[in-house]
Amino acid sequence: MEPIVKMTGIVKQFPNVLALKGVDFSVEKGEVHSLVGENGAGKSTLMNILYGVLQPDLGEIYVRGQKQVIHSVRDAMHLGIGMVHQEFMLAPSMTVVENIILGFEPNRRSVVDYDAAAEKIRALSEEYGLAIRPESRIIDNSVGEAQRVEIIKALYRGAEVLILDEPTAVLTPQETEDLFKVIRSLKEHGKTVIFISHKLQEVLAISDRITVMRDGRVQGTLLASEATKEKIATLMVGREVFLNIKAPEGKRGGVVLDVQGVSARGRRRLSDLKNVSFQVHAGEILGIAGVDGNGQSELVEVLTGLRRVDQGDIFVSGTKITNLPPGEIRERGVSHIPEDRNRSGLCAELTVAENLVATKLKRPPLSKNGVIRGQAVRELASRLVEEYDIRPGDYRIPTRNLSGGNRQKVVVAREVSEDAQLLIAAHPTRGVDIGSIEFIRSILIAQREEGKAILLVSADLEEVLSLSDRIAVMYEGRIVGILPASEANEQVLGLMMAGGEYAKAQGEEEKVVEA
Amino acid sequence: MKLNLLDRLDKLQAPLNVLVAVLIGFIIGTGLMLVEGHNIGEAYTALFNGAFSGRFNFGGTLERFVPLLLSGLAFAISSKASVFNVGVEGQLYFGAMAAAYFGYTIVGLPSFLHITLVLLLAGLAGALWALIPGFLRAAYRVNEVCTTIMLNYVAIYFTSYIVNHLFKNPHIGVPQTPNIQESARLARILMPSRANIGVYIALGIVLFFIWLMDYTTLGYKIKTVGLNPQFATYAGFQARSIMVGAMVLSGFIGGITGAIQVLGIHGYFLDNFSKSLGFDGIMVALLARNNLKVLPFVAFFLAALKSGAVGMERFTGIPRELIGIMEAVIILFAAAEAIIVIRRRLSYQKGGAEVV
Ligand SMILES: Nc1ncnc2c1ncn2[C@@H]1O[C@H](COP(=O)(O)OP(=O)(O)OP(=O)(O)O)[C@@H](O)[C@H]1O
Ligand SMILES: [Mg+2]
Repeated sequence: MEPIVKMTGIVKQFPNVLALKGVDFSVEKGEVHSLVGENGAGKSTLMNILYGVLQPDLGEIYVRGQKQVIHSVRDAMHLGIGMVHQEFMLAPSMTVVENIILGFEPNRRSVVDYDAAAEKIRALSEEYGLAIRPESRIIDNSVGEAQRVEIIKALYRGAEVLILDEPTAVLTPQETEDLFKVIRSLKEHGKTVIFISHKLQEVLAISDRITVMRDGRVQGTLLASEATKEKIATLMVGREVFLNIKAPEGKRGGVVLDVQGVSARGRRRLSDLKNVSFQVHAGEILGIAGVDGNGQSELVEVLTGLRRVDQGDIFVSGTKITNLPPGEIRERGVSHIPEDRNRSGLCAELTVAENLVATKLKRPPLSKNGVIRGQAVRELASRLVEEYDIRPGDYRIPTRNLSGGNRQKVVVAREVSEDAQLLIAAHPTRGVDIGSIEFIRSILIAQREEGKAILLVSADLEEVLSLSDRIAVMYEGRIVGILPASEANEQVLGLMMAGGEYAKAQGEEEKVVEA
Repeated sequence: MKLNLLDRLDKLQAPLNVLVAVLIGFIIGTGLMLVEGHNIGEAYTALFNGAFSGRFNFGGTLERFVPLLLSGLAFAISSKASVFNVGVEGQLYFGAMAAAYFGYTIVGLPSFLHITLVLLLAGLAGALWALIPGFLRAAYRVNEVCTTIMLNYVAIYFTSYIVNHLFKNPHIGVPQTPNIQESARLARILMPSRANIGVYIALGIVLFFIWLMDYTTLGYKIKTVGLNPQFATYAGFQARSIMVGAMVLSGFIGGITGAIQVLGIHGYFLDNFSKSLGFDGIMVALLARNNLKVLPFVAFFLAALKSGAVGMERFTGIPRELIGIMEAVIILFAAAEAIIVIRRRLSYQKGGAEVV
């Protein structure tokens, strides 16, 4: 049968990098086809070409056997190609319905027919099991919800081939499961899905075929049934990768972060912080596990001065930091890898160097009496780019031009190099490739060895389990239990994340084992 | 490897848009001249001569160049922090009044000191006036576009009251203040035109602000707050104070703009003298897309058009309003995109309520 999409000899040159060096890629109708590869391998670029966002310099695209030149997103849509981008593109202050119909408003005598639109959206949402709240504004939606909105938006515009660029990077395991149900239902309805992810177990679970890219080239296409994690990883990176680095027991020092009975208003009722208390010691990684939206984001914001504490106190190395502005909290030795790198963690229009030095600019040697010392900035930037393997290595380009994973590395590089006593890391490996996950995790452990206190928030249970010394589980804005990593496993944590107490969870697990 | 043509054009997009706008402006202007039955060659020769030929004409261009450049700079600086100072006009009136007052009352200083002092005091007057909308924006989220527009009227009428009743030259019928001291006057260049060393002062100020934006931590913060306030807050900058700071800097420049008109052109404060010099700055900044390095070129181009229009009117009888139409067309086309950007920023600010 004719492939529904076939791309041959695609070449794409950006001003600084040759992103695609002659790529052949084809997708059969009705399959789930995964695209994997390191950060900067060219996955998003290839898909942006198919979606009409970018134009290839060389190469041809065939859709349903017909040669096509896709000039714009509109062209792509007419061909039934839809895409959900890695970095979402929704208007934050508009409602879900408005976002979906934006640019494709059904008209009745040149008045937007909201009812017709809402009806169609409801039908789509039921057909594919995509739960959304049509009247809510985007800013009030979780990332998972926003993503479902993006998917409906693509379907609304008649997508037959749906490109999902790293959809699961921002999702919790539960949300990922939900997304997989949606993908399966799309497949049942005869739609074709191109799925990009760095999580190989997901890729193996959902795909029919897997194409591996490396450095602007296709390394090979495998049948999922014949592939293994190791095979893919080796194709991707060109060497073996060790993911489950388990750190040796650390030497625990004094208390660095002391949170005492903190309560705060959350984004929604469920995520209000309710009387949260815990401590993080020097030389320790405390992992926070929990289903997204149970107060983890709010906890991080409260600790970094981005959200008001209503009750309780927070101390860092004995100094009270409750409700200090973010800048002063930083000065007291707290650095922060935020969960949303695009909105908070980076300024996309500024250069890589400017982003790397943002938090250090005030101090010597980077500035003196308010005057920036260019030489010092360049030295630091080139050191960090080198040390953290940020690609491409030119720190004068706008951060916008970096691939998603490389942007994340910019944030990690900046915050870890702060050399703060307390590092708050929210989803530090989100969206980075397996080689870089390995690298970032080893950096966190090295920081711990140096005696830093680390608070690790991650939706990835495997990450929490393999890095933490102790694990706190959050549920509905409370900490339902803190346990040493040695006593934790996915089952125990899973039960606690659903609201069970630690003791109870242990009991139930024994039952599970008995049965 | 060949670069994709579209990618390459992308970089040139902004200047290209402006060029196209200018082209359209000239086409429409030419069309109007033809319809009116004028000789095109004659008209453009007169326009060119009116702007450049001889000391007087070229001086006239420079004279218009200075306030365009400075008020453009004022608007651009605040816009960098995503604060829109539409109140340059009002700040300019206050600066001018302060310049007239201190230029007249301070006696016995050497010229250099006197001028420097008066410019600083005038800047301060503009800055204080800009502090009001800046503070309202930061503390109560009052939209600065509205407050600055309204405060313009307050400033114009308030200074008008001063010049009519409190500080008026008693020997002259028109409402104007007494002449400033000789020591406060900016030396004329290109006599017999009214151009003066204010040109150098203005260029110096622009250079200073280019340096400030690119090489100081303050400039970095202003840029960052304007581009992504959420990131700025996260990185530990005081987004609100920086916004107020940008507004105050902008007002400072506005004040100096007025002062140079008083010290260099008139020698006194004249009621209602500006006739929208401060507003012209907005279009200069829009055309230059707030790029400080482009400002002088845009300001010079518009100054030449304005000055040339006068010459053209005199020699060919084509009304200078025709050039005004041309200007309006250029702005319209060039600014369309800039306005979209501003609106996006404003709605973003509304959306990101948690930000500041
Ligand atoms: N607009 C752009 N301008 C210049 N270079 C770009 C641009 N977009 C991407 N690049 C570069 O092209 C290369 C491929 O980027 P791409 O985003 O396709 O990677 P990716 O495989 O999607 O990576 P990731 O897994 O990190 O998302 C990278 O080196 C990137 O820096
Ligand atoms: Mg990508």
